[in-house]
Amino acid sequence: MPTLQLTAFDRFEPAAPQRRSEVYFRLRMSDPAPIDTPLSADAERHGRDAQLLRRAGQGDQSALGELYDRWVRPLHALACNILHDPAESEDVLHDVFMTLWQKAADFDTSRGHAFAWAATLVRNRAIDRLRSRTRRAELLDQSVPADLGYDEINTPAHGGDTASLKENAAAVRRALASLPAEQRDALHLAYFGGLTQQEIAEKLAHPLGTVKARIRRGLLKLRDTLAPQL
Amino acid sequence: MIDERHEELAALHALDLLEGEERTAFEAALTRDPELRRLVDALRATAAELAHAAPAVPPPSADLRARILNTAVPVVPTPGDVIPLALPAWLGWAAAACFFFAAVFFAGKSFNVRGDLQSALEAERVARLEAGTLKNLLEAERILSRAQLDHLAKADRLIADLRSQADVARLKITSLASLAGNSPQARAIAVWNPDRQEGVLVVSKLPALQADKDYQLWVIDPQYPIPVDGGVFTVDPATGDARVNFKPGKNVAVAQTFAVSLERKGGVPKAEGPMMLIGN
Repeated sequence: MPTLQLTAFDRFEPAAPQRRSEVYFRLRMSDPAPIDTPLSADAERHGRDAQLLRRAGQGDQSALGELYDRWVRPLHALACNILHDPAESEDVLHDVFMTLWQKAADFDTSRGHAFAWAATLVRNRAIDRLRSRTRRAELLDQSVPADLGYDEINTPAHGGDTASLKENAAAVRRALASLPAEQRDALHLAYFGGLTQQEIAEKLAHPLGTVKARIRRGLLKLRDTLAPQL
Repeated sequence: MIDERHEELAALHALDLLEGEERTAFEAALTRDPELRRLVDALRATAAELAHAAPAVPPPSADLRARILNTAVPVVPTPGDVIPLALPAWLGWAAAACFFFAAVFFAGKSFNVRGDLQSALEAERVARLEAGTLKNLLEAERILSRAQLDHLAKADRLIADLRSQADVARLKITSLASLAGNSPQARAIAVWNPDRQEGVLVVSKLPALQADKDYQLWVIDPQYPIPVDGGVFTVDPATGDARVNFKPGKNVAVAQTFAVSLERKGGVPKAEGPMMLIGN
């Protein structure tokens, strides 16, 4: 029986306005437990991702299969939270893994981690589809600064590095939870909403300059907090 | 050191929130500033981590993995894929054949294009000829119109000539010469129109005049006791020639003959000087 609980974010913002409460209260199976992610585990995870991507670039299908197993959960969740359509989210995943397969050899490891590249591809494709199918007014209506929390009880469908992913997700949630609510709202709409700067400002009913400043401060703080695992 | 403004732009760019000129300008700045580029890369990586925080969703369908892997066809030949040695031999012939057919195809195309071009040039030439023909027709019409006008003018002139011929029949033409021997080379012709009471005198080789002298023409009419004054004239000093239109001061009923005398400047009412020419 699910219980009504505040997410990790809400625990840091008990005095949030009514509008936020409507949005942030979610049926959750459990609260994320604080987990300290070992530095070596993150480095090992990124290294393994890069190695698999390199092998995929050389035509190794099994490497692509392993990447799928490692990434499908967060990538699918990302696509679904943007598109709110499971079938279309699967189409996006299919497209993105094909792109990874064809362009893996071109990936520049000095510019970032392999997962960041895959997540960027998924987000861009999903937002493109969202914008092409939805009128802007509808997009604004659909976009709400929702709860950011990866359900750690979900397990990868085909095994893989479950513990590392769970630890990573928990670290991200903790970092987000440490942000002021207004920064978290702005970041959520910016990352998952597919909205423009102005639309985010309208959605949050704050001046554009304020929203930009919140995005800047929030993302910089996230970077500092997550630096060990990036 | 990156200022707050550029930090803000970097954060917005990492989330793909920059648009238009702002985005163009910032991307240009990125190419010049490695530190700014590193910041954007770090913020992009940070933003990508937000995917881990996405609220949970049901897992994708079980066959998605198989569909992806079935579509992922190897693009790099594996070591077992040895290209047969015979391949280059027929490949060369195939390439040659392709080249041949391509050459034939493009030659045909070229021929067609040239034909089209030739047709276009021919059409242009015909058009030019038609235009020239029309221009000539127009010119012919204009000439015909002019010819008709000329014809009318000629008809007018003919009528005038016929009328003048009637006058000519009544003209008196008199030849004048020296009888006194003082100007043996001199000659003159006088043409008199009795209807108009005017005439023309044409002289040649009369002696050059002194400054205080003039030649004077006289018309001999029997009804008057003395010759009628026809006016004074001078001659070209070099040739002694002159052409004089004259109109006597009195009505001349019968111009019996004409005479030219040398008189003092301005003329006299009655001839006083030597007679230089007289009609025969």
